[in-house]
Amino acid sequence: MKILLIEDDLDLGNGVRIALSEQGMDVVWVRTLDDASRSLAHDGCDLVLLDLGLPDGDGLTLLAQLRRNPVQGDSGGLPVLILSARDTLDDRLAGLDRGADDYLVKPFVLAELLSRVRALARRSYGFDGESIEVRGLVLHAPTRRVSVGGRAVELTASEYALLKMLMMRTDRVLTRRVLEEQTLPGSQTNASNTLDVHMANLRRKIGEGYIRTVRGIGYVIDQQARGGAA
Amino acid sequence: MNFLRRCWRVIAEPTLVRRLMMVQVVLVLVMWGGVIAIIVHNGGDSSTYLNSAKSFEAVISVAENLASQPVLQQQTLRIIDDALREEFDVSDLHELGPMLLVWQGERLVYQSKGAPTGLRGKGAAGLETVYLEGVRYRARTLRSHRSDTLLTAAAPVGWVNVFVTINSRGYFLLPLVISLPLLPLPAWWSIRIAMRPWRKVAQEVAARGPHDLTPLQFRPPHRELAAMVDSVNALLLRVSQSALRERSFIADAAHELRTPLAAMRVNAEALQGQDNGPVQRELLNGILSSGNRAGRLVGQLLQLMRSDATGNEPHVRLALDALLQDRLAALSGLASRDGIELELAVAEPVCVMGQRESLVSLVDNLVENAIKYSPPHGVVRVSLSRAAGRALLTVEDQGPGIAPALRERVFDRFFRDPQQTKSGSGLGLAIAASAAASHGGSIELGDAQGGGLLAQVQLPLCWGQV
Repeated sequence: MKILLIEDDLDLGNGVRIALSEQGMDVVWVRTLDDASRSLAHDGCDLVLLDLGLPDGDGLTLLAQLRRNPVQGDSGGLPVLILSARDTLDDRLAGLDRGADDYLVKPFVLAELLSRVRALARRSYGFDGESIEVRGLVLHAPTRRVSVGGRAVELTASEYALLKMLMMRTDRVLTRRVLEEQTLPGSQTNASNTLDVHMANLRRKIGEGYIRTVRGIGYVIDQQARGGAA
Repeated sequence: MNFLRRCWRVIAEPTLVRRLMMVQVVLVLVMWGGVIAIIVHNGGDSSTYLNSAKSFEAVISVAENLASQPVLQQQTLRIIDDALREEFDVSDLHELGPMLLVWQGERLVYQSKGAPTGLRGKGAAGLETVYLEGVRYRARTLRSHRSDTLLTAAAPVGWVNVFVTINSRGYFLLPLVISLPLLPLPAWWSIRIAMRPWRKVAQEVAARGPHDLTPLQFRPPHRELAAMVDSVNALLLRVSQSALRERSFIADAAHELRTPLAAMRVNAEALQGQDNGPVQRELLNGILSSGNRAGRLVGQLLQLMRSDATGNEPHVRLALDALLQDRLAALSGLASRDGIELELAVAEPVCVMGQRESLVSLVDNLVENAIKYSPPHGVVRVSLSRAAGRALLTVEDQGPGIAPALRERVFDRFFRDPQQTKSGSGLGLAIAASAAASHGGSIELGDAQGGGLLAQVQLPLCWGQV
């Protein structure tokens, strides 16, 4: 996977470059918006890590430009993850509203950066027709087919939508509210109970050990199995 | 006694109203004193009496013409004397008023009531001063050309004159005398009314919050006050600008620290992935945990700066249950690193009036604290309900808790439990408390079931939910 890292800080840029390369990713590191535009136009990439305060301008302008005029090989869905020291809600919303896929505040934990990069890559591959796989649970987006350990599982549309959301964002707890809003539109009354019913059915079909309940908060699928988790 | 003391304190306390009234009273007293001094100096109205020479000549004529009929003479002189003294009303104190004595030869044929018998002028032209029995008199003596008739008109001089004048010119002095004691009330009242704009300004200043540095709204049209309000506003502007500069400096500094902290973290974590000996691993862990602490401290300093800066931002209706769900989902990554479970129990939807950013820092700090002090694989329980017309948010952990004696002090900035073994900045609870206070709420610490800390936050509900 090819990652374009736009970060002007020498130490941080170098650290992230090395850490991502260690994970087998192909990292191109640039330090200005100019270089970033040039690199995007010539070589393209699969994912952009974008710092906001850059010497020759704000990263948000590049983001807006990218969303307005997609570069070659990008169908408009090039995943962009913002890395910024700006942490207020307004800053985050500004980034997400301009079309960023995710927003990570500095200083971040490396594991979190890796997890989000993987999730973004998976999301974008998902759209490209790739499969998502977690510990033997496979979801194939184009055919909407799900299998556990090679055994095909029949899911309803709602169950499939729920599973896809969770699998595209492994390791992150999705709140009940988000799951209700995104996958069960229209079921305003007793949305909470409906979600519980769907989850129970989904668990029964794919087996225990995948979907972990965070009581009162939401659900998560862990990339690695968690000892002692429900 | 106490009441008197309080009264005295009210009177003795320097106020502008008191000062204005004192000035007024003193001015009136000075004017009054001046009038009295002029009366005393000029001998009062008696001088007009003593100068009425024609009348005295008439008296002499009558005395001469009726010399043969003493009774008739006495009666007639009495009538003329009374007429002359009519305007100098001294009621029964005749010795204070002007007086008339008439001699024919050495025989005193007439004397006014109260006039001392020995009062007899030497007959000099014009006014003279006569002392008799310690009293000073101004006197005029007229001698008849035709006979040995002699007339002395006299009036006592000095302070006694004042009483005569007050008595005779009462219609003129009376309002002044009566009004003087009554003057303070209307004066006080009028000054109070005149000072009303002043009080309005004072009230506006008094009603401000400690962080409110916006210009005063009420600008009175009166020149003196307007000048003062303008200078106060100019001062507020300067103060708010310098506070803004200071805050933005700290915010910038904290902000600038984040990138190098992130760099340190990423480099150390990348190094952790390499093959290291046990000593290197331990040292790296030390670097990472210091980096974490610095990162957390920087974040909290930013939160504090922001909570100080956004104290005036409007509060909006917020669904606290949804906010809790979002924040706990975001914090679940931090929790699961140590195998700690988060649990949320929402009894019913709860809406509060608030600022999202501030409530987020409240929730984050309480939950991060709970996670930090939880034993591995512990459970952090968060609950939300309504109780007694307030939103009640509780965060429970299974950690060591906080000794009751320290439960007030842990809300102080940078205070840390001396027994504490976990690293921390000592800012988390201070931020949470400040956020709760800015929402009109409160935080109480207690014991969770089975040990551990219980933090209870009370917040006011939205209108319509109470």
